[in-house]
Amino acid sequence: MKKIFLRSVLIVALIVAWETAARVHVVSPFLLPAFSTVLRRLYTETVSLQLPVGLGLSIYRSLVGFALAAVLGVAIGILIARVNSARWFFDPLVSIGMPMPKIAFLPIFVLWFGVFDESKILMVAFSSVFPVIVAAWAGTENVERLLLWSARSLGASDRGLLWEVALPAAFPQIMTGLQVALPIAMVTDIVAEMAMGGQGLGGDMMQAMRFADSPGVFAGILAIAIAGSALVKAMELIRRRLLVWHAEAEHA
Amino acid sequence: MAATEIAFEHVSHTYHPPRGKPVLALDRVSLAVREREFMALLGPSGCGKSTLLYLLGGFLPVEEGRITVGRSPVAGPGPDRGIVFQNFALFPWKTVRQNVLYGLEKQNLSRAERERRAQEFIDLVHLDGFEHSYPSQLSGGMKQRVAIARTLAIDPEILLMDEPFGALDAQTRGLMHEELLSIMERAPKTVVFVTHDVREAVYLADRVAVMSARPGRIKEIVETGHVGRPSPEIVKSRDFIDKVDYLWNSVRQEALLAQSERSGAW
Amino acid sequence: MKPVVRYAPLLLLALLWEVVPRAHLIDPRSLPPLSAVAVAWWDLVTSGDLWTNGISSLVNLSAGLLLGVLIGAALGILMAWYGMLDDVVHPLVRALYPMPKSALIPVMILWLGLGAASKIASIFMGCLLPAVLSAYNGARGVDRVLIWSALAAGATRRAVLWEVILPAAMPEILAGIRTALALSFILMVASEFLIGQTGMGYLISFRGESGAYDSMFAGVLTVSAVGFLADRAYLWAMQRALIWRE
Repeated sequence: MKKIFLRSVLIVALIVAWETAARVHVVSPFLLPAFSTVLRRLYTETVSLQLPVGLGLSIYRSLVGFALAAVLGVAIGILIARVNSARWFFDPLVSIGMPMPKIAFLPIFVLWFGVFDESKILMVAFSSVFPVIVAAWAGTENVERLLLWSARSLGASDRGLLWEVALPAAFPQIMTGLQVALPIAMVTDIVAEMAMGGQGLGGDMMQAMRFADSPGVFAGILAIAIAGSALVKAMELIRRRLLVWHAEAEHA
Repeated sequence: MAATEIAFEHVSHTYHPPRGKPVLALDRVSLAVREREFMALLGPSGCGKSTLLYLLGGFLPVEEGRITVGRSPVAGPGPDRGIVFQNFALFPWKTVRQNVLYGLEKQNLSRAERERRAQEFIDLVHLDGFEHSYPSQLSGGMKQRVAIARTLAIDPEILLMDEPFGALDAQTRGLMHEELLSIMERAPKTVVFVTHDVREAVYLADRVAVMSARPGRIKEIVETGHVGRPSPEIVKSRDFIDKVDYLWNSVRQEALLAQSERSGAW
Repeated sequence: MKPVVRYAPLLLLALLWEVVPRAHLIDPRSLPPLSAVAVAWWDLVTSGDLWTNGISSLVNLSAGLLLGVLIGAALGILMAWYGMLDDVVHPLVRALYPMPKSALIPVMILWLGLGAASKIASIFMGCLLPAVLSAYNGARGVDRVLIWSALAAGATRRAVLWEVILPAAMPEILAGIRTALALSFILMVASEFLIGQTGMGYLISFRGESGAYDSMFAGVLTVSAVGFLADRAYLWAMQRALIWRE
């Protein structure tokens, strides 16, 4: 509890500092619009529905791309761990794909899929799938062999070993991979929107920038920051709920 | 009721570590375990006693020699040979009840029968009330009891135990010994019990097989001479103490050999 | 495993990339055959476009990365050293971490205009936090016993900082730099998409918009390859530097 209190105090202090600095014109209001101005802009944008629509679109694209990456990534990761030919094929792809700046592929996705939602969603999926594959692969491969042996001696079939033992045992690691992938999904979507324009938080921000509308730009950043934090927090809660048996172990 | 005498015939096993040379873990081990006998495998660390158990369990392939259970060769793991590991190997995402039910679900039992048996064995190991706890919420002794309940619930004819009480403190270990003996009284099975604790071996087992330092061979086999269930008093008897001393020295010899081999390898 | 064997599937993919568009299984306008891409790449080299843009990218990347890492590491270590600074700054850092730094690119444009400065600033912002956090964790994780031994042997506080804490925190810092390196590439490309004028990101999007798709693919492959090789090279150097670690 104390931590939350301290953190809130700090945030409040920062906001106060921001507001004061802006009011006092430490820098021009263009460079640093007052916090109250930004808040007011968020309010008007919410009322005019511009913010809800933009936010909704960005979240929609991020989450759909993320979901795609999650399903594909887990499937491929498990496949790699279990099937040697899959490992041979995917290992170099994953190993090269991880450190690559995948955002560079955005123009290719635009070429192939157009300028609407599909290209953004697929770009998001492409960027986020790699950490999921790596996590699912590692999690499945590293299942404690005594667990598998116990299951076999209790009568588990080969299929049973995968679905009843390996996957649940790998789940914490898979979940971590998903938690890494989510922020990547959001960032990729924002950048794609900024580059391609149109509706969405990214597009709105670039638009504001073109009109030298700094409160608009800052409002966008605030909205993204809040939305991002909310999604990450939601993921943490989901993890705690699903991994209640694991959470116990972490605190034990 | 299938015959459960176990025979190891000239069993050898080599480990191939990813880096480095192959290691001969077992060297032509031959051993016979009688039906319903409690056989302890005793030896220094690295002597291969766990390996022998894993081969019997079917977790490692038998490459040289033969292992038979009731005349049929071992061909993979199965519910006829239940195993209990030192680190419990409980499914952490399942509750106690779900863990115990796991093996039962693989058998052709009605739902009611499964639940009944699961509860019976949970009660047997005195864990009633903890059915819905997760392993991470239990103490070491409790976890080991779940592991035993889980294995016994499927009623294997043979029980394999790999230093099952090694991770427990001395007090709990003593309690577990008595519980194990009570369970054996109720439903006798053929047991192969790996340990490095000499007193434990002499107390629990009918016969104790001492294994040599790596590569493992059967050095000698000693009868403990128990008739029926040993009483806790027996640890004070002259005969018991002598046997423990004798075996302790036998194992110690091997342990020293193993150590000198390691330092010789430098 | 020998690299040749390990990366063999890539040869398979390269083969497919050549054959599939040529056989019109995929429209060769959307996916130019690999040979066409190679030719376009060579044109970029000989015309000088690759160099001009590539060097611009690398200069901005290096500047942003270096600044971000040096300032970040210094800040992180100071935070660990001076508890007071930590209480104030740490929650701020933790709160800012999930915020996508690419979203700050428009702000950088507002502040610094359309040019190298805003690109470098964007890259800097991306690299800063990983460096701060890894330096902080590294410095915090230094075994107290080491510090006390040094102090007991008569070292000044400053000497302890340079001679005990910094080296002990190095593994963690170097790991953080690897993360910053990957992020710097992403922000480099993103900022060049949005700010344009020069750079590999600009080259890729410009060629794309002009319909010169084979050059576009050539650009994408080049950036990806450089990003990958940079990571590998860094990893190699890092492992050499940390050879004393068990």
